[in-house]
Amino acid sequence: MTTGGWVFLTIAWTIIIGLVAFCYGKIFRGTTRYE
Amino acid sequence: MAGNAVGLGNFLRFPVQAAQNGGGAFMIPYFISFLLLGIPLMWVEWTIGRYGGRFGHSSLPGMFDKMWKHPAAKYLGVLGLFMPLAVMVYYTYVESWSLGYAIFTATGRYWGNDTFASMSSFLAGYQGWGGADNPFFSGISWAWIMFAITLSVNVFVLSKGVSGGIEIVARYALPALFVLAAILVVRVLMLGTPDPTQPEFSVSTGMGFIWNPQLDQLSDPGIWLAAAGQIFFTLSLGMGTIHCYASYLAESDDIALTGLATASTNEFAEVVLGGTLAIPAAVAFFGLDATRELAQNSYDLAFAVMPALFQKFPLGQLFGTLWFGLLFIAGITSSLAQGQPLLSFLQEEFNYTRKQAALMLGLVVFILCQPVIFFIHHGYLNELDYWAGTFGLVILATVEIILFAWMFGMKKGWDEITRGADIRVPRIFRFIITWVTPLLLLIILGRWAIMELPAQLMMEGVPEADKPYILGARIVMVVGFLSLCLLVRQAWKRRARAEAESEVQA
Repeated sequence: MTTGGWVFLTIAWTIIIGLVAFCYGKIFRGTTRYE
Repeated sequence: MAGNAVGLGNFLRFPVQAAQNGGGAFMIPYFISFLLLGIPLMWVEWTIGRYGGRFGHSSLPGMFDKMWKHPAAKYLGVLGLFMPLAVMVYYTYVESWSLGYAIFTATGRYWGNDTFASMSSFLAGYQGWGGADNPFFSGISWAWIMFAITLSVNVFVLSKGVSGGIEIVARYALPALFVLAAILVVRVLMLGTPDPTQPEFSVSTGMGFIWNPQLDQLSDPGIWLAAAGQIFFTLSLGMGTIHCYASYLAESDDIALTGLATASTNEFAEVVLGGTLAIPAAVAFFGLDATRELAQNSYDLAFAVMPALFQKFPLGQLFGTLWFGLLFIAGITSSLAQGQPLLSFLQEEFNYTRKQAALMLGLVVFILCQPVIFFIHHGYLNELDYWAGTFGLVILATVEIILFAWMFGMKKGWDEITRGADIRVPRIFRFIITWVTPLLLLIILGRWAIMELPAQLMMEGVPEADKPYILGARIVMVVGFLSLCLLVRQAWKRRARAEAESEVQA
């Protein structure tokens, strides 16, 4: 795998894992309504 | 809803799409599609569904009719009945392979065969095109029986209602599937170079195939269409299924956080887990050329590779049986969602009971799936997957985003998206939904129509012997779509009659 491949993988995985952590953090911590 | 989204698309379809479309060349459009099409459309579909549910509609013809006061709106909504039905026809069959492979793994039927030739031969034999001298299967009876069982389970659960048993099963089966997939990912990453005499057969080459960016292929519209199609398929967008589930929500229930959680959970399953399983393992065991060859058929790759992996795994038979069994359950949760829009439509518009509607749906799927089973080697399944599972989803997504942002109106639409929201929806998405998503979809479709549609329609590169079957698949799809249009027309006539009668009585 090239350096470009590692960079791309790292960015993609970070975005996805970050989104999952954000969503389930909100869900498990309880949420605030934003209307 | 994550149960609906996580399914065969993550572990079976994604690796094939990535391999077919050049690996690293596919992943850039895939991510752009996820961020600019997937997330906005997820919110839009939840919003349309919750809005339509307020008026008692659980399927798209009624929802579109409420959003856009135009006689054509309900016919555009037919796409939301046709797509899930067309996908369900072949998806149920692929789902049944998981059941078959769970049994074969438990009984060790393929044990001792872990080469590319033997695993391909096993799969071809199971699918009924291995020829009379196939060493594993003498006919297609296994595949047909597994399909009949799978469809019966679907019809049974649909007739009982989704909220009962299947939700409980999904609650435990999906986390179990995630844990098992994570264990398998670790095993795949530890494979390294299984055969030191062939150093290019390695996990590293496989990972590089997916992740090394190939910017020179970004101008290929077919890759963009495939990437957008995969995003829609895997997130169950452009299918009418999310609308159906969302229609049962209350007016002030959150959809923003739920939609985002569904999308990100699914992407974790697909990219982080699914992307590190079948392709790296296939390249490590069979090499790049064989991986590309396996990717010619829509769902074959994982069925040829994973059994080889389990044979090199401690307690492989146990893990393999669990893997295919859980995959089967994940598939069931998705196919049930695909059956739901037509089921709800028949119940709401024609007053059928749930059981009657489920039986009718089951009969239709049973009949329409027969050519899929018997003509799979002539490209029948691939043809359905291309037009319904890729192109069709993009078409429905384009129609609904334009309807939502421009006919329904973005001011009203934004109020609906943010109503009851448990997260602050970034305001940039108002601009993205209004301009970026529709334009990107139109550009993808336009470029594809100019550069690839003629070749697709004229079946360029299709063997002569397969052309009648491909044509047959297209005729079935057109007739199916027109039949659903007639059904919607009939439903609206009935509704107008009922309204007239109630006015007379009043």
